[in-house]
Amino acid sequence: MWWYIGRRALQAIPVVLGATLLIYAMVFLQPGDPIKALFGEKPVNETIRASIAAQYNLDDPFLIQWLKYLGNALTGDFGLTYAQQPVSQVIGDAFPVTLKLAVMALIIESVLGVAAGFYAGLRKGKLFDSTMLIVSLLVIAVPIFVFGFLMQLIFGVKLGWAPITVGGDASIKNLMLPAIVLGLVSFAYILRLTRTSVVENLTADHVRTARAKGLSDRSVNSRHVLRNSMIPVVTYLGADLGTLMAGAIVTEGIFNVPGIGNLAFRAINRGEGSTVVSIVTLMVLIYVVMSLVVDLLYAWLDPRIRYA
Amino acid sequence: MIAAASLTLAACGGGSDSEGGGSGGTSDAVITSFSTQPQNPLIPTNTNEVGGGNIVDLIFAGLISYKTDGSSENEVADSITSDDNKLWTVKIKSGWKFSDGTDVTANSFVDAWNYGADAANEQLSAYFFYPIAGTDDEGTIPDGGKTISGLKVVDDSTFTIELKQSESDFPSRLGYSAFFPLPASAFDDMDAFGKKPIGNGPYDFASMTDNVEAVLTPSKTYEGVRPAKNGGVTLKFYENPDTAFSDVQAGNLDVLDQVPPSALTTYKDDSSIQAFSEPGSPNSTITIPESLPGFEKGEEGNLRRQAISKAINREEITDKIFDGSRIPSTDFSSPLMPGFTEDIEGQDVLDFDAAGAKDLWAQADAIKPFEGKFVVAYNADGPGNKEWVEALTNQLKNNLGINAEPKAFPTFAELRTEVTDRTIGTAFRTGWQPDYPSIYNYIAPIFGTGAGSNDGDYSNKDLDALLQQASGAQDDTERYKLYADAQAILFKDLPAIPLWNTSISAAAADGVKNVKFNWQNKPELQDITK
Repeated sequence: MWWYIGRRALQAIPVVLGATLLIYAMVFLQPGDPIKALFGEKPVNETIRASIAAQYNLDDPFLIQWLKYLGNALTGDFGLTYAQQPVSQVIGDAFPVTLKLAVMALIIESVLGVAAGFYAGLRKGKLFDSTMLIVSLLVIAVPIFVFGFLMQLIFGVKLGWAPITVGGDASIKNLMLPAIVLGLVSFAYILRLTRTSVVENLTADHVRTARAKGLSDRSVNSRHVLRNSMIPVVTYLGADLGTLMAGAIVTEGIFNVPGIGNLAFRAINRGEGSTVVSIVTLMVLIYVVMSLVVDLLYAWLDPRIRYA
Repeated sequence: MIAAASLTLAACGGGSDSEGGGSGGTSDAVITSFSTQPQNPLIPTNTNEVGGGNIVDLIFAGLISYKTDGSSENEVADSITSDDNKLWTVKIKSGWKFSDGTDVTANSFVDAWNYGADAANEQLSAYFFYPIAGTDDEGTIPDGGKTISGLKVVDDSTFTIELKQSESDFPSRLGYSAFFPLPASAFDDMDAFGKKPIGNGPYDFASMTDNVEAVLTPSKTYEGVRPAKNGGVTLKFYENPDTAFSDVQAGNLDVLDQVPPSALTTYKDDSSIQAFSEPGSPNSTITIPESLPGFEKGEEGNLRRQAISKAINREEITDKIFDGSRIPSTDFSSPLMPGFTEDIEGQDVLDFDAAGAKDLWAQADAIKPFEGKFVVAYNADGPGNKEWVEALTNQLKNNLGINAEPKAFPTFAELRTEVTDRTIGTAFRTGWQPDYPSIYNYIAPIFGTGAGSNDGDYSNKDLDALLQQASGAQDDTERYKLYADAQAILFKDLPAIPLWNTSISAAAADGVKNVKFNWQNKPELQDITK
């Protein structure tokens, strides 16, 4: 298995390189000069513009810029923001907040999604199942920011149960509302996935065998139906952590969470290449690691799968 | 509900003698206000955007400061005098201290300005030093020099400023952040200073958490004209004004100076907040270059410009598209400027009159028929630009019967590149946010012959002469009269067509008192209590 993990880690290198190159190209192709934009509507001072541009290697051709970025990144120097702060420090401040938010969303959506999906699958065609179908379709159909503003208005402004914005205090209590909003869509998908998978497994051979052996309903459902239904759900969850972190941008905006999404948004607007690329690289790494974890989990869920 | 909202408006527009008790009331409550993450280190000469500006303006005090009505008064300066409006002598008051205990001296100012104008220091606000002798047109010291030759320290409390040309309202520039002083310790390590600045203003910089907030506490040493009447100001950074608006509604945020577009139609009737809507200083115009066929200098061009101005129904656009967040212009500046008057010759050219417009256009056609179309270029990345340019060209089409159409540039940078290269070949949208509260600043840099922001290459000797005269004028009444005369020339020639001013659309939480807005559309945070 260690051999397998090592091989996967090696595969990650070209993926990360390719991703940084792509993103760098996109930032580079953004029209307009980010340094000119720093001057706002006042006349641009050419001497100062040139000297700032040189500091950020902005006048180099883009391949050279990318190589310089990579070279520095290998030594742990991810460059400076236009506000002269190390990119590593800026990301270091924002990343834990987003990670916390995404993990909370992941826990909420997986616990609720699997439970509701499992129950709906067992009670196929009954009232609970139909209700959940409607709820999940609704959640998937309505854009996330609508829920964001709606929940903010209801629970924050009207009822006053939850703080409207998170700001500096990223505690679990403050992040609860944004985490629910962030996890809402995935909750619906997990619910659908679990339910379909459970329905399928209920009629599978091994479940019939288990029942024929005289096992109790409870034991059949939890050990044979649920566990085997988890494979597609785990696949989804693994990829979802990355999606949640990258997709937190809308939720973070609505609840003013000082996380990675807000940071990326601002950096893209300002054409701050080094920040954008560093954030994206981090996201790519998270995807790579999570997909490895998912593959390893398969082996645990389904003993027939072995990695040698 | 509507009545309640307008009462609030009246109280706040009317002056300071309402419930807060004017100057007397102080309280210990900390005021929270909307802001954004500063984009640059917090060095006054490097701060040119609102996020940093909000902090810097409160922790520093300049030679002069601006009153709420846009007029200025001496703050650190004891006097700023000149016989010829060209060589200015500045005397500073004794007793001013930075929050680290060191004295504010003539050198605190001169060294700070030299630092700002030194190109090697890459300061984004170097531009503001351009009127001073010894700087180039962009405000930096030429040939890698380290000191501005026009600045001379006489003694600890006196220094002189020599300008390139006489300018009577030069002192009113000096309240802008680029002209703030710096303590000697700043020059030892400017990077560290930019993270934790030490100022001489009404507040001390206590701390800042990136993307979260900046905490400012009342200064113990400050004895200027803007004393803190609250227990401190916390500027909370938001990415999204919609979120900030919800926070105001719930009472989590005291002041929001920009109501988001989504709430513009409703916020004045919202009983959970206090709403403010007042005229503001930035304006929007359409510049029609003289190089455009049919719009050349002369009678034909003037008739066509006037026809276009009269064919625009400004009221309709500000109501329908901007929900009242813009107010139709009545001159080339803003109602917030000292000396503003509605009594300028030829001002009626801004009144909507479709029949008159058509008539003027016909007169121009009688001189020489108009061929082709009238195109208005705009940058599509500015919110609302597309909508109003389309509405405006439609009005021109309907009211003048000409072929008018909008032309979109994806970004502001791309539009400006073609404008400054003079390759644009169409009319285009322009706007101006004043550097300091003076009508002069809305005219000279834009319409003076060869001026830095004269995008339409307008040139009129009479206007130049009036501006020159105004620069030499010694008293305000005379100066304001000359500004009005200068604007009368502009109303005749219409090098740019004034459209509207961006108004202040702000909200404050219930129970917050003494909310007033200055010429920069910013709340006077030091006066606010709750």
